[in-house]
Amino acid sequence: MSSAPKQMEQVQARASALDSIGRLISRYGILIALVLIVLVLSVSSENFLTAGNLTNVLRQVSINGILAVGMTFVILTGGIDLSIGSVLAFAGMVGASLVIGENPHAPITAVLAAMTVGAGLGACSGVLIAWVRLPAFVVTLGMLSAVRGLTLIYSRGMPISNLSASFKFLGFGNVFGVPVTVVLFAGTVLVAWVVLGHTIYGRRVYAVGGNIRSARTCGINVSGIIFSVYLLMGLMSALAGVTLTARTTAALPQAGVAYELDAIAAVVIGGTSLTGGVGGVLLTVVGVLIIGLLNNGLDLLGISSYYQQVIKGLMIVAAVLIDKARHADAV
Amino acid sequence: MIKGDKARMHPDKAPGFTRREILRGAMAVGAFGLVTGCRGKNNQNVHRIAVPLQGMTAEFMQLWLRGAQAHPAIRTGLATITVFDGRMDALTQANQFDTIITQRYDAIIFIPVDIQAGVGPAAQAKAAGIPLIGSNTLMADRSLYRCYIGSDGVVSGEDVARAVVTKLGGGKGNVVILEGIIGHSAQIERRQGIQTVLAQFPNVKVLEMKAANWSRADGQALMENWLTAHGSAINGVISQNDEMALGAIEALKARAVDLATHPVGGVDGLTDALDAVKRGEMWTTLQDANAQAQGSVDLALRVLIGPAYQPMSDIWKQYPGKLDWGDGTRTEYMVPWTAVTSENVDRLLAVRRAG
Repeated sequence: MSSAPKQMEQVQARASALDSIGRLISRYGILIALVLIVLVLSVSSENFLTAGNLTNVLRQVSINGILAVGMTFVILTGGIDLSIGSVLAFAGMVGASLVIGENPHAPITAVLAAMTVGAGLGACSGVLIAWVRLPAFVVTLGMLSAVRGLTLIYSRGMPISNLSASFKFLGFGNVFGVPVTVVLFAGTVLVAWVVLGHTIYGRRVYAVGGNIRSARTCGINVSGIIFSVYLLMGLMSALAGVTLTARTTAALPQAGVAYELDAIAAVVIGGTSLTGGVGGVLLTVVGVLIIGLLNNGLDLLGISSYYQQVIKGLMIVAAVLIDKARHADAV
Repeated sequence: MIKGDKARMHPDKAPGFTRREILRGAMAVGAFGLVTGCRGKNNQNVHRIAVPLQGMTAEFMQLWLRGAQAHPAIRTGLATITVFDGRMDALTQANQFDTIITQRYDAIIFIPVDIQAGVGPAAQAKAAGIPLIGSNTLMADRSLYRCYIGSDGVVSGEDVARAVVTKLGGGKGNVVILEGIIGHSAQIERRQGIQTVLAQFPNVKVLEMKAANWSRADGQALMENWLTAHGSAINGVISQNDEMALGAIEALKARAVDLATHPVGGVDGLTDALDAVKRGEMWTTLQDANAQAQGSVDLALRVLIGPAYQPMSDIWKQYPGKLDWGDGTRTEYMVPWTAVTSENVDRLLAVRRAG
């Protein structure tokens, strides 16, 4: 009789060892994919591995990167936000309207105004999802349409251009040789990584996504956490919105259409689970880089964007396969 | 024990399988790289032209590209063109400009996604010393172009409005206007042309004017709603492009409206629209994608090679007195529109199908 518990212990130990190996493989699988893409592109295009091009890649991914960081928080709680492209456009539009004309406001005023708008819109979604308990998919789908409409009303369907030079610095300027957009992206990643990995708040985000009932039992203010991630997503969308506006030198009413898809794709390719509780910001950065490198590399090689979309789609499905495998372990 | 088996099986099998999936995906990428890798090598004698264009989902862009690829200089290998699909997104296009500049292309033929948002990237290209030739869509700041070849959108608006209004009995009646995506340069220019002509016909009343976003489906839905609202009071339809006009025609047909007495006018000369003209269902004016594309390649090569370059495309003989090469140094070339009529539609369709 005494051998039975021992046997169980052994089995469990072996299982958890295998489990952690499996997790390592599924975690590094995506890194291997990233390294392979870099290798293939380095060999097939002489221009790929140049400082100029790599800076381009970083600058090109930074807007999707900022959005994907916010989306990581949302998806970690098991939620989704489809409205980010519209929030991005509206916030960018509001920001742009402050930096035109004879006496433009300072860029920081525009950024703060945009982020206020983003936070407000994110809070609307957050309240409906966290306390009214409507499904996130439906609430943010509604916001996607409503906020796009607000953008068109606010702009009367016309782009806002002739932005002040100091504002455009956000899109074109460099700080110590690094593009400002990349600095913003890197800063966002750093802050998010610290918050998610090294604060009580971060642990609570994982807890809510991992098992909402036990999180509630543990005394976590679940509704508060859920509300906060949509608020955060709104802020990130707005930051991406002003950056994009500066980068395209105009706030366009149709800016950001379908950007939610790339942000979600980056999070999923990075390996964050759509059911919540598993994943992280650095994984998302890998996902963002993979998408960005594919876009850049296939442009360099002169391959039609049609293939780009097929490959991106395959990557998403492959990433979900990994996620499914990981879930099968957990059950 | 059962639990243990399960735990052992999955970590063994599933992640291994998925890693293989990833490897396979990466190999697919590698295969593309190998196929096209040789193309990436620079040949100093070949002029490399980058073509950032709006988006490859529109038929007009496909026709434009087909024209460019058929240019004698491209076919003989004097120059190469690399297409950058802007996917109708200004940021995508701005990013592609970075790539083009880093790659040091010799020249850029630019069709901006947005006339305002195109200015920033264009200024970067100018600062990098890469000559920029505009085609099809005129961006907001003309000073950044070496030269531009396109068709005047205002003229097409005037043409379509005049065609519809003169077909109304005695220059009198009620029309509806289908607009493109508000803020697009084509929408702004075509609206201006339409309004110029309508101002000359005080007996023509505009019942409705609304955006159907260049889309056939949107045009059809909007027309159905207008027919519900106004019924037989609508005498004619002015559309800013063919797609929306074709949608409106479907709605009119569903209501059994006689298209012979209810003129519908569009702009662009898409293949479906040419067929509709042949059936006597609509009027349209053809924007010559081939001439815009081939003309822009000639102008780019004129910039790169200098006065010694003689244009290789025969589009310069196609519009005598209206579109002349000169010495290839003018800053603006306007390709005339061609009104599509029952007389010339068969010839235009034959040209389209031959390409």
